[in-house]
Amino acid sequence: MTDLAWLTVAEAAELLRGRKLSPVEYARALIDRIERHDGKLNAFLRFTPEIALEDARRAEAEIARGAWRGPLHGVPYGLKDIIDYAGLPTTAHSKILKDNVAAADAPVAAKLKAAGGVFMGKLSTHEFAIGGPSFDLPWPPARNPWNRDHFCGGSSSGSGAATAAGFLPAAIGTDTGGSVRNPASMCGVVGIKPTYGLVSRRGVLPLAFSLDHIGPLTRTVRDNALMLDLIAGHDPLDPGSSQHAAGASAAQLDRGVKGLKIGVIRHFYTRDMQADPEMAEGIEAAVTTLAGLGAEVREIQTAPLNEYLACNRTLLTSEGFAIHETWMRERPQDYGALARERLMAGAFVRAADYVNATRLRRKLADSFHALFSGIDVAVTASSMDPPCRIDDPKAIEYTYARQARAPFNITGGPALSVPVGFSKAGLPLAMQIVGKPFTEALVYRVAQAYEQATGWVARHPALSDQEFNLDAARIRR
Amino acid sequence: MKDELTLEVVRAMAAEIGLTRLTEEHLQQLLRATLAARARRAALPIATLSAADEPAHVFRLEDR
Repeated sequence: MTDLAWLTVAEAAELLRGRKLSPVEYARALIDRIERHDGKLNAFLRFTPEIALEDARRAEAEIARGAWRGPLHGVPYGLKDIIDYAGLPTTAHSKILKDNVAAADAPVAAKLKAAGGVFMGKLSTHEFAIGGPSFDLPWPPARNPWNRDHFCGGSSSGSGAATAAGFLPAAIGTDTGGSVRNPASMCGVVGIKPTYGLVSRRGVLPLAFSLDHIGPLTRTVRDNALMLDLIAGHDPLDPGSSQHAAGASAAQLDRGVKGLKIGVIRHFYTRDMQADPEMAEGIEAAVTTLAGLGAEVREIQTAPLNEYLACNRTLLTSEGFAIHETWMRERPQDYGALARERLMAGAFVRAADYVNATRLRRKLADSFHALFSGIDVAVTASSMDPPCRIDDPKAIEYTYARQARAPFNITGGPALSVPVGFSKAGLPLAMQIVGKPFTEALVYRVAQAYEQATGWVARHPALSDQEFNLDAARIRR
Repeated sequence: MKDELTLEVVRAMAAEIGLTRLTEEHLQQLLRATLAARARRAALPIATLSAADEPAHVFRLEDR
């Protein structure tokens, strides 16, 4: 039985192109599912079924006359609510911006529109992509589809939750210290922070200019590569945008890992921090799987994790406070407590400390990239712990900093979170695959080989006892 | 520097940069946040930098 909720972008594209599935029927099925279940998960901050159906009708007419635009044509997607979509508010999940209607599409939104995607709505985020999970904001925090009492990660919380819950096959998030990869890890989906500058940041509310990245979350590696290929590309109006040729990540997916050299940054999760035993076991089993597929695996060393984290947070809070200083002066009470405290950490960072952090960044990045003279990609932990309860502030605070994602916001190269199994409690485990700048195709290739060798992608959370069994009837045989 | 930081000191520092609308709760948050930022500063291996180590944001103009 084919369930529309779990169609991948690639599978849906084939059905839609072949006119075996109607974009309108597909959109309606997911709309029904969202209406039925999102009250329990809060993945959507602004659900837009009217736009989705309009997009779907347009896609149906275009495909019917042979004007197929590509793999997203007629496929639903969502945007983290710090990304501008013309005519809708970009709230950043904050009271401060609740009426901030976007005048124009961000280039990433424009690219997805041009690809014929079906826009389902704006997705929950931590406030200003930093403060969450919070219960003192105008909208509730997103919850983990694998267990709604648990944290779904952030700040691209709704993007992770919606994708894992089968509300959407793809969503877009942003990542300044790990905010695509954290919800990907916690929700058991695939998320990439691409190379800095590969995807335009314009029209996306900044958290920290030098660390912000935009990337997709999907349920499969192939879909992630397809989505990145759609949103990557030079933007002359984004001063950080790269002119490096983008795209073709999906084309190299199935070449396997035989002969590739994979470095394991084990000290991040065994010495610098000690990962939860189940998480460490999941990563080690994945490393063994990659070796079994023919990769040459060896342990590598880089700078201590804490140096990367201190560098990331010094830059992030300094740049973040510069953006928020005026609001912090005029309306501090309108922030949620977590965003206010995390952003205020930048208020009194000395200029010399900020500059020194940027000097360290260059050193850290140069020495990290030098490692790639002997390896093709590296693997390491993403989160150190499985998801904790969402209503346990101490556990949230403890696990928030226990991550190995921020180093790659410092180095700027691609970093992808991929599921490596489940804890005994049934919560997702994950690892990262990282590369030197602009080697997304290689990172995806390794992730694809691992995904194909394991069965994690076939497991989905049960949102209720009664799933959508009618969906199969909507596919024309 | 860390042991000099009190709520009153933070209140004065906040006022100097125009953060005059913070409540007592906000000031407690600012104190905690500033202490955390200073702890992070201590973790930065600044002693490893030489005078010639340049910031990451130094840019080149050849493309303009």
